[in-house]
Amino acid sequence: MSSLGNARRGIRAPHLLLIPAIVIMLLGMGYPMIWQVVTSLQKYGLQQQFGKPAPFVGLDNYVTLATDPQLWLVVGKSLAFCLITAALTLAIGTLLALLMSAVTKTARLILQVALLLAWAMPVVSAMTVWIWLFDRRRGAINYLLDMIPGVNMNRFDWLSTPLTFLLVACIIVVWMSVPFVSFSVYAGLTQVSDEVMEAAQLDGANGWQRFWGVILPMIRPVIAIVLLLQLIWDLRVFTQIKLLQDAGSKSGDYDLLGTYIYKLGTSSQDFGMASAVSILVLGITVALSWFYIRSLLKEDEA
Amino acid sequence: MKRKIGIVAAATAALVVLAGCSTPAAPEAESADGQNITLWLMGGDTPDALRDYLKTEYADATGGTLTIEQQDWADALSKLTTALPDAENTPDVTEIGNTWSPTFTTVGAFSDISDMYDELGGSKLLQSFVDVGAVDGANYALPYYFGSRYIFFRKDIWAAAGLEVPTTLAEFNDDAAKLKTATQSGFYIGGEDWRNGISWIFANGGELAAKDGDIWKSTLSDPKTIEGLTQLQKLYTDSSLAPVTEADSTPWVNINNNAATGAPEAATIIAPGWAHWSIGDLTPDPKDATKTVATWNDATFGNFVLPGVDGGAAPVFAGGSNIAISAASKNQAGARELMKIIFSEEYQNMLGANGLGPANTDYTASLGDDQFATALAESAKNSKLTPAAPGWAAVEGSGLLEEFFGKVNGGGDIKALAKEYDAKIDELING
Repeated sequence: MSSLGNARRGIRAPHLLLIPAIVIMLLGMGYPMIWQVVTSLQKYGLQQQFGKPAPFVGLDNYVTLATDPQLWLVVGKSLAFCLITAALTLAIGTLLALLMSAVTKTARLILQVALLLAWAMPVVSAMTVWIWLFDRRRGAINYLLDMIPGVNMNRFDWLSTPLTFLLVACIIVVWMSVPFVSFSVYAGLTQVSDEVMEAAQLDGANGWQRFWGVILPMIRPVIAIVLLLQLIWDLRVFTQIKLLQDAGSKSGDYDLLGTYIYKLGTSSQDFGMASAVSILVLGITVALSWFYIRSLLKEDEA
Repeated sequence: MKRKIGIVAAATAALVVLAGCSTPAAPEAESADGQNITLWLMGGDTPDALRDYLKTEYADATGGTLTIEQQDWADALSKLTTALPDAENTPDVTEIGNTWSPTFTTVGAFSDISDMYDELGGSKLLQSFVDVGAVDGANYALPYYFGSRYIFFRKDIWAAAGLEVPTTLAEFNDDAAKLKTATQSGFYIGGEDWRNGISWIFANGGELAAKDGDIWKSTLSDPKTIEGLTQLQKLYTDSSLAPVTEADSTPWVNINNNAATGAPEAATIIAPGWAHWSIGDLTPDPKDATKTVATWNDATFGNFVLPGVDGGAAPVFAGGSNIAISAASKNQAGARELMKIIFSEEYQNMLGANGLGPANTDYTASLGDDQFATALAESAKNSKLTPAAPGWAAVEGSGLLEEFFGKVNGGGDIKALAKEYDAKIDELING
């Protein structure tokens, strides 16, 4: 684009322009991050919250968490939840995007408006409705399932076993995230040129082959970033689980990492341990996003 | 990007520490005139008429504005933990669950109000509530109101089964089991509802925790506690259809006739005394067609005090709240003014008239002498508080008690569970 001389002359201005962003990043994310690391090395309870000095305990908090079977159970559950939910969201979202590009304009508009409404609904309102739907006594879900001959779902309590609890949570989270995925993928699909598709068709590729061999590789960058975001969001899912717990059980069997940390920190007032677990979650998040970072690095090299 | 609740929590903690560096001004001779203060009330227990009274009186006394913010009981502990140390966000005066008072008082969250103690009622104030809010003889949190739990039952259903009001706990447990059908709980109690469930522990002489020297120890494995838990497990299994995951909820909806079936979900419930406003024959609310109002009907509904093991009244959980001034508040004078209004004869009588046990025992008569006032007084006589341990709020916040009671009532091995949860609670209970 530009000659070497131009680049040298302009080198100061771009660097200066970066400063505000970096300062905001450092203040907004670096500062809490550092505090979190520091707190995770301290014994930090309610007394410290009210002004007592917090003693440093080295890696004590980390040793405690590494040897806590309860925590690893929560980590396992959270990972499974996040993988399954993100995969389902991506699959359903992509299917809806394909549907959007296949139907007529009117049908597409209706679909898009419906998805947008679901996306725009505030979490707490949506959760209130979902909790009503799954209500043990008067919920529409039980009512409808009960009408199927041979199925007895009268008063079935969805929130009373961890597995059905997480199933409900999974359905809700998928419902809330699908619009974002389908819009992103649909945007990607519009970039696939008609000529390429026509060429593939002329070469005799059937629908599946065209999707798998042509469309998917072309929209791969979109899929990758959307999957990454979903994985991160679903790993740190909090509001939905907390509100379901308020409707169901406070017991630890129903915890994912978000609620586990919340309970440990603000409810049991052990901020040191809560910070240590948060750092662990950060580690898991980085590990999960590794595939994406690696592919970015590869692209850079290429 | 990676914004997680943990970071938020840590960030809050960080800010709080910074805020903590600027020690709040001592309540010297500052004036309450024109101070705008905030009062946190927990849940909807305090009726609107009382809230309006406080606002008007406060404005008259100081010219300032009193803002009342209602906090949900379920999240109150977390909110208090993060807001109280922070001078910018703390409520000036806050209601606080009586069982949490030791925790917050010990860490210095509240202002010393020993100098006002006599003025606010002194020895006339409910002693057990005063005790949990005092450290080394200094008063920090004082009683706000007390309530206690007693039994509401369906006279029609009990009579149809040929049952009389029970006089011992064993009789009660048996009767409740007899009244259970496929669609009706004999006695409705959630599996995780430890606040009501502990009555069976207390009644059998058990405790949740005991002080051994300076150290608090969880005593779930104590034989008397185990005996109470065994009875509770049997009672839950034999008589309740409530989900094992249900905690302290709104049990009165179950004793009223269900709109769809015309029959109640439960023949018997245990609830705080003021629940009687919500129990009765349901008719559409003339003011709001989407709601119903309950009118108590003596022919259908009745109440009695949960009987003890050898008769008399069982020691139930002493519900109620304390009230205190936040040490971080910048409006100490205004806050003290509000305390004077709350402990005034008029406000205490208003509490009583609304079925909330007044903090000052001189005004207990304001509760009246109807069946509800009698039951409240009788059940409160033996009522007990949870352990006054410094870490008790953390124990409640952790959800361990819900978890433990849920597992017991789910049919778990009581002794093994008690041992497991003793160890877990011991880690938190000393703060």
